[in-house]
Amino acid sequence: MTDLLQIAKREIKIGFRNPWSYSFLVLFSVFSLCLLLINSRNEVSGYSGVTGSMLSLILYLLPLMALFLGSFSLTAEKEEGSWQLLSTYPLGTLPFLVGKFAGLSIVLLTIVTFGYGLMGFIAVLLGITFELNTYLLFLAFSCGLVLLFLSVALFVGSLSRNRWQALTISVMLWFFLVIGWPAILIAVLGVLPYLWIKPLLTLLTLLNPAELVRLFVVIKLGGGSVLGPEYYRWVSWIREPGGSLAFVLVFITWIAGSIACVYWIWERRRSRG
Amino acid sequence: MVGIRPKRLMSFYVRFGVQLLIIGLAIGICCGCGTPSAYASATGDSEGLSSLQSATLQRIIDEAEPGSVVVLPEGSYSGAIVIAKELTVQAADNVVLTNTTSSPAVMIKADGVVLQGLRITQEYADEETAAVLVQADDTALTELRIKTQGSGIMLRDANEAAIFNNEVTWYRARDTNGVSSNEARPRGNGIDLYNSRGSRIERNRIANMKDGIYLENSSQLIVEKNRIYSSRYGIHCMYIDESRIVGNIGEYNFTGAMIMGVKNAQISNNSFLKQNRNVYSQGLLLYDVQTSTIERNYVEGNRVGIYIERSSNNELMENSVYRNFIGIQMLGAENNKLHHNDFVANVIEAEATNSKDNELYHNYWDSAQGLDMDDDGISEIAYAINPFYQQMIADKPAFMLFFQSPGMAFLSAMYTANREQWTTDRSPFMHLNVALDETAALSSGDVVKERVLSKETFMLIIACMLLITASLTIIYSGVIKS
Repeated sequence: MTDLLQIAKREIKIGFRNPWSYSFLVLFSVFSLCLLLINSRNEVSGYSGVTGSMLSLILYLLPLMALFLGSFSLTAEKEEGSWQLLSTYPLGTLPFLVGKFAGLSIVLLTIVTFGYGLMGFIAVLLGITFELNTYLLFLAFSCGLVLLFLSVALFVGSLSRNRWQALTISVMLWFFLVIGWPAILIAVLGVLPYLWIKPLLTLLTLLNPAELVRLFVVIKLGGGSVLGPEYYRWVSWIREPGGSLAFVLVFITWIAGSIACVYWIWERRRSRG
Repeated sequence: MVGIRPKRLMSFYVRFGVQLLIIGLAIGICCGCGTPSAYASATGDSEGLSSLQSATLQRIIDEAEPGSVVVLPEGSYSGAIVIAKELTVQAADNVVLTNTTSSPAVMIKADGVVLQGLRITQEYADEETAAVLVQADDTALTELRIKTQGSGIMLRDANEAAIFNNEVTWYRARDTNGVSSNEARPRGNGIDLYNSRGSRIERNRIANMKDGIYLENSSQLIVEKNRIYSSRYGIHCMYIDESRIVGNIGEYNFTGAMIMGVKNAQISNNSFLKQNRNVYSQGLLLYDVQTSTIERNYVEGNRVGIYIERSSNNELMENSVYRNFIGIQMLGAENNKLHHNDFVANVIEAEATNSKDNELYHNYWDSAQGLDMDDDGISEIAYAINPFYQQMIADKPAFMLFFQSPGMAFLSAMYTANREQWTTDRSPFMHLNVALDETAALSSGDVVKERVLSKETFMLIIACMLLITASLTIIYSGVIKS
């Protein structure tokens, strides 16, 4: 446990001295403020054009941020030889990885919190109506999105040899999960028999953290009916408190699963060199 | 002002609920006080009792001279009654008519009857049984308070009726455990017209029914300033001619107004808000509507603001379409004119497929990239509606899951086939057409300003806390050397 805390502390220190963190902080704050100002005449509540575009911004920016910072942190360990040094100490792989995850999540969540704090502050100062529930929902789900993508980032980091490889894989994954996703699915699922489409789509959505979080926020904002009759029962179920609980469960499973994967890869590398 | 509206409506809604509760309690107390003495005198057989009481009320009506005014004394009556001669029946403050039989509580068979101020509870659960059934001309129904397990007011072949200031709500029956026992029962319509010409339906309030106002096979109707909540369709028109639907407010219904098979109608100044619960919800639905005018309506927060299918030669102007998931959706709509409408903060502003020869101009689209070179307030860049998403989900509805996914926007932007056939606003406006306060005035209710303020303070506190926590974390762990 002390190992884990040591690693986490070290990670936080490194994270806040990393210029990348601040460039993402500035980018996120500036973009969210711009969106707020563009829509300053409209009330920010429920599922509308304003919240829709904010959701898009979050989906573009936050996964990229989490992927870069997370995967670079792991590859830096390899590239700069600090992992070789740490390996000489009696330090388990799991405390190391969980410590990394914890430290990085605090760095990322701080960036997100700062962005939202600034956005809320300016919204109140300028007299923009920003419904509190919507605000908190956005905050919570930005944090969720960041954590999910951080676990993906650790995966990327453990697979890549150096920063360049991590960068390439991160961008590729980001493009695939955020931008290319509908295009690829429409193309692939279009070939399959009609009856397979919905179950496959549902399953694949569970595997894509960006879509998972997006759909959950849309439903929680009250926009579930826009998904059409096919998902009616799902939507009405997720709207209930039980739906949130299920989401938390999926969320935890997701993170635990990917950390387990990363642990397996890392341990394999450690023993085989 | 925009921000306050939903709260105002909510507060109205709450107040409305409280009023209903009070009315309900009053009825409960009246029934509680009124029946024991009746029980004492009756034989104990409840059927016999109700026929006895209805006989009393029926006798009062039967004994009245045609053309006279009957004022019903305070008290509770039961059973079905029939008015078969020209009469004005006025109720004193607290006249409650409870009906448990399968015939309508009040049946009007003679022309020129006026019925005023009665409270009617229709306890017989059947969709087709009305609380008030009118089968005669020139009837006036005013200030009735109806709670029903069937329909509210039904007009059959009844012309020139005046239905003003009534209230129709669903009667929530409770079993001994206080659990609602009729929640799943089919509900009737609030006000239901069939084959009735020239009627006026004004300032009624309807909640929790099937269709708020159902109009079929009639003409020259005026439907004005009604408020309809939590029903299936707020206003449902089937095969109506030359009618006016003006200044009505619908909220939380499946669909605000369902206008089908209608010609030459005027639909204006209505507000349809928050129709978004159901997957088929719309603010205003026009199906097979011809040569009608739809103007200055306010649709907000619906799944689809205005939905137009197979309709032609209509004019839609100066409507305000705010914060809907889809602003306007057109399917097989041709030769319509859409101009001077405002589309603001909708998730998707417009969708159109198979809709040719519609004339769109001078609308305001808040997400359109306008360019005004000559400073006349009109953009020189046309605004085209991309039909990609709608075409895709038409084949495979499962893909509706991609609604406004970032990748979907990316994909639609790449799709430019047959661009010249897309529905296009050739000269969008750069500024709003309709001042919002005008429409805001429609949905009246008390403004709760103090609460908005305290919420803002609350928001400020939370935002500051977040900002300070984040800054402290950064300074403590990143800047200070340890």
